[in-house]
Amino acid sequence: MTDQALIIQFQNGDSKEAAFTQLLKSHQAQVFFQIKKMVVEHADADDIAQAVWIKVWNKLDGFKQESAFSTWLFRVAYNETLNFLAQKKRLKLHHTQNELDHSLEHPSIQNALKETTIQIKLERAIAELPEKQRFVFMLRYYEAYDYEKIASITGTTVGGAKANYHQAVKKMTELLQQA
Amino acid sequence: MNDMNDMENESISKGLEEALKSFESKTKQVPVGYFNQFELDIMQKIKAEGQAPQKARIVTLFSDHKQYLVAASVVLAIATGFLFFNNTEKNITSVAKIEMIEIETLPNELIEAYVNNNELVAEVEWNTAIETEAAFLSK
Repeated sequence: MTDQALIIQFQNGDSKEAAFTQLLKSHQAQVFFQIKKMVVEHADADDIAQAVWIKVWNKLDGFKQESAFSTWLFRVAYNETLNFLAQKKRLKLHHTQNELDHSLEHPSIQNALKETTIQIKLERAIAELPEKQRFVFMLRYYEAYDYEKIASITGTTVGGAKANYHQAVKKMTELLQQA
Repeated sequence: MNDMNDMENESISKGLEEALKSFESKTKQVPVGYFNQFELDIMQKIKAEGQAPQKARIVTLFSDHKQYLVAASVVLAIATGFLFFNNTEKNITSVAKIEMIEIETLPNELIEAYVNNNELVAEVEWNTAIETEAAFLSK
């Protein structure tokens, strides 16, 4: 069944759970990995993803299908992820940075991964990107979404989305080139 | 415009591309059976939420036009305040004017007599007070 048909089934109250489960099965991996690329930590990604889907369950009755379900879903994921990161900043938790530092110090990890340096540099570069830029970059590079869809998801313009992507690539390139 | 075209055609260096591939591989690692369990966890949470007593939804009256009501209330408060203070001032001024007029119209002899009488009364009252105090202290 298409997303549209499943949503209508859900909104009509016919086997709500079945319809929702189908939507979940179709989209959960894609959404989860997008979130995980933002937060890196599996536990954090899990928390955010759960919050996203519970919100979807609660709000799906009001979804008017003016955009594709995936656009709306990623919009929810975008908001939840940014809220999570903002909260984390407020609590002054620097898990990503601490984990990266720890991975540098721990000899067993260093020995195991030959490409540690470049990977760590990239993860640091990604972590330094503003959250919106990061999200836009991930959607464009990994999901190959067009800029119109990205603009709808992030609440920006097409030009803004392009600028975000451009800036993200530029910053990551510069940071990788640093010693 | 050129900037827009440049942005669209932004090429990624080979080094960055390689690093991004590794990053993707790392972030795509999940525990075995994670998504199946995730589905069960979500449905469990949804059911638990459904069974929890729902908080009563508070519906405010006129919620759609709230901002207009607030604005109207503020205007009304300002207008009422203005009218009240304006009237009070006028009353005070009127009273003050009446008093001034009355004093002005009084003959000097009457004013002098009033002052003298009141001086006398004040003096008697003062003397009485002193005597009373002295009597109290001498006990």
